[in-house]
Amino acid sequence: MNNRIDMKGIGKSFFATRALDNVDFSSVAGEVHALVGLNGAGKSTLMKVLGGVIQRDQGVIELNGQPIEIAAPVDATKHGVAMIHQEYSLINELTVADNIFLGRELFIGGTPFLNKREMARRVRAQLDRFGLDLDPASPVRDLNSGEKQIVEIIRALMSDSWLIVMDEPTSALSEEDKERLFGFIRRMKAEGVAIIYISHHMPEIFGIAEQVTVMRDGKIVLSERTSNTTEAAVIKTMTGTELDDFVKPVKTISDDVLLDVRGLTHAHAYQDVSFDLRRGEILVLTGLRGCGAPELAKAIFGLTSGYEGTISYRGTTLRPGRGPAAAVRDGMGMVTENRDKNGIMAALSVRDNIALPFLEKATRGGLINAAKVEAVVAKAIRETSTKTSSPDQEIRFLSGGNKQKICFSRWLDEDLELLILLEPTRGIDVHAKADIYRIIEELATRGVGVLILSYEIDEVIMLADRVITLYQGRSVASYSHPDFDKDKMLADMAGANLPAAAHA
Amino acid sequence: MTSTVTVNPTAAKAAISGLTLRYLVLAGLIVLASVGFSLANENFYSLVNIGILLRSIAVLFLVSMGMTFVMLTGGIDLSVGSNVAFAGGVGVITLTTTGSAPLGFLTAILAGMAIGTINGIFIGRLKLSAFMVTLATFALARGLALVIYDATSINVSDPTFLWLGGTSWGNIPVVIPFVFCVFVALSVLLYRTPFGRNVYAAGANFNTAFVLGRRPERSVVWIYALSGALAGLSAIVTVGRVSSGQPWSGLYLEFDAITAVILGGTSLFGGRGRLLGTILGVLLYGIIINGLVLTGTNPYLQSLIKGMILLGVVLLDSWTQRGKAA
Ligand SMILES: Nc1ncnc2c1ncn2[C@@H]1O[C@H](COP(=O)(O)OP(=O)(O)OP(=O)(O)O)[C@@H](O)[C@H]1O
Ligand SMILES: [Mg+2]
Repeated sequence: MNNRIDMKGIGKSFFATRALDNVDFSSVAGEVHALVGLNGAGKSTLMKVLGGVIQRDQGVIELNGQPIEIAAPVDATKHGVAMIHQEYSLINELTVADNIFLGRELFIGGTPFLNKREMARRVRAQLDRFGLDLDPASPVRDLNSGEKQIVEIIRALMSDSWLIVMDEPTSALSEEDKERLFGFIRRMKAEGVAIIYISHHMPEIFGIAEQVTVMRDGKIVLSERTSNTTEAAVIKTMTGTELDDFVKPVKTISDDVLLDVRGLTHAHAYQDVSFDLRRGEILVLTGLRGCGAPELAKAIFGLTSGYEGTISYRGTTLRPGRGPAAAVRDGMGMVTENRDKNGIMAALSVRDNIALPFLEKATRGGLINAAKVEAVVAKAIRETSTKTSSPDQEIRFLSGGNKQKICFSRWLDEDLELLILLEPTRGIDVHAKADIYRIIEELATRGVGVLILSYEIDEVIMLADRVITLYQGRSVASYSHPDFDKDKMLADMAGANLPAAAHA
Repeated sequence: MTSTVTVNPTAAKAAISGLTLRYLVLAGLIVLASVGFSLANENFYSLVNIGILLRSIAVLFLVSMGMTFVMLTGGIDLSVGSNVAFAGGVGVITLTTTGSAPLGFLTAILAGMAIGTINGIFIGRLKLSAFMVTLATFALARGLALVIYDATSINVSDPTFLWLGGTSWGNIPVVIPFVFCVFVALSVLLYRTPFGRNVYAAGANFNTAFVLGRRPERSVVWIYALSGALAGLSAIVTVGRVSSGQPWSGLYLEFDAITAVILGGTSLFGGRGRLLGTILGVLLYGIIINGLVLTGTNPYLQSLIKGMILLGVVLLDSWTQRGKAA
């Protein structure tokens, strides 16, 4: 049977915010339906309504023409709907296998005993398909964000659902993992599974989706077959204005070395990595999952010790593991890769989340100068076009992309000298992305050194002054703007060009 | 008692749309409770009784404010009650041996702070569970108090030492304006200084606070030290109130403080709450307990009622918390 689900006239308000306004949305078996829109447009909210995570105020949901009640996530599961949430919904204390089989555990024969071995076996088979060398019995807490995302995907894939909602499933995936996911999606489509796919990446959408729907401020503004429309048209309907595309300005970079990394080695994470970063330069490290770049960044920011080699900053060698407080004091800033774990403070206001690193500077006679904080916060919100009802709003009520913008905008300070960004534009919409690239360029022009880890090859090429490709903790090659060879970079990341052992 | 049960739905709504509404509800309940008790006992509303009431909960105000800081970090301080006895002992012994009241004050506060600092180091630096660490110091401080006092109380007659806890200006005990000053000072500390912001940051997400360079491990030490210092201050008030130092003073104080703080809307999970809520929580809790005494409720029932209040508030908070999670 050809299943279909229809959401009709869905409405939802959060206090004064009208998050969904009379939304119609359908999904048909065997098709990928892409849902796009700016950060805070209401995409995740619509899908949470479908998944029973939040309750709608108005509207009906029909399965094959029959109204159904979805009052809780368990109802959605019952009707064959699975979700890959934008904010990870894995339980940190449980193991990978337990998370994947949560609520659908396998038992030994007819006994009440869990068949741990069989569950682990099946999970391992799926992990292998993703090329992920992970013990199914390891707790989810220890995984990095890309691995968590894959576990989340595997859980949905293994749930035997006919409809899978994927809310930005590729945001933390490397190019290689993305391709694997697309392979799965194509296969499932052929098997008659329906997929709702939320993403800010137009090429992905036009590569796999049959239908694309654009949301703006809680309303549907366009719904069209992908064959009848174009990327530019979709991007334009998101805001109603043309995309003000980011164009890399021409500039000359000083010879003033800000950061000098020599022979950095840490057991399993990275081996003998050397590079330098000059003031005003944008250096991008790129590779696949496991390339070691996040670990390198943490060492530079003083979060880890126990490495060999030296890191000098402003001409002095840094003490390993000196702690982030010293780093921040010395003009460093970092956007971490795991927003929920160590990027935001969910219970605190947008204001507190932005202003914390600045507080000492906005203090006079021991007391915080509220006006000064307010000015800094307002500027940060404005420049990144963060959508929040007010600076007092708790950050957990913001949409995923808007949280990410705050993780970035909190560092935009005059005293900043080195900005380390791990996947800075993760979950950020195309328009805001261009704004963020512009801000990064402005920082560089001002003399800030910017060290970026990005898994998105297009972003790497668009933004970098220099690129270093990494493969399993080793630097492979270095490229300078504008001599970027995309194919060669991709080959570097995949390990095809080893052992070049090239140093920057 | 019935009043606390029937208002549950209202209070639930309050927490959803922010702390302000909760404070209004608390204020309403305070009025309701005092009107109710004054109908039951005409003495309740007398100026004399209000003075007695406020004096009897002065210590609870001080300790609960410290507890608010602690609970904002997602922690708990079970040692405060024992710490009051211990710090009082140190203060009184210093007074009797040196004869100097200021020295007695100082050592009492320092002794309280010492226990707090020990808590803070174990919890903040060594990352041990706040519950377990303060449970240990809860026993430890009481043991020290018993040793210091040799298990008997010591009478104090030094007027300077007794002034803070024992004197009244007319019907107003001196300690009340003092508590108000402490409240103002702690409010400035919590809302207007980077330290205060760090308290919230440490509670909302310790990891994030760490990565942002806020040194939450250090903040936590200071927060428990502050809680201990306030216990030391409370010890001085306690000794002043009864004109003697007693090894068993401060019994169940941690229970009362935790209940009052939670009643005042501070989240058990840290990061959310305000001092004003704690003040209202202490007032409401104090009025209920005091009213029960005045209306001649069986004293054996008091503990039962306290337990029910705490359970009710925690239940209510977990409901509203679940509402928010969606
Ligand atoms: N629980 C909530 N309370 C208050 N406001 C909320 C809540 N959840 C969502 N919102 C608001 O609803 C709007 C839509 O949010 P939603 O998460 O659906 O956006 P989105 O389209 O998924 O954005 P993104 O691309 O950033 O993920 C936002 O303005 C957000 O602040
Ligand atoms: Mg979203």
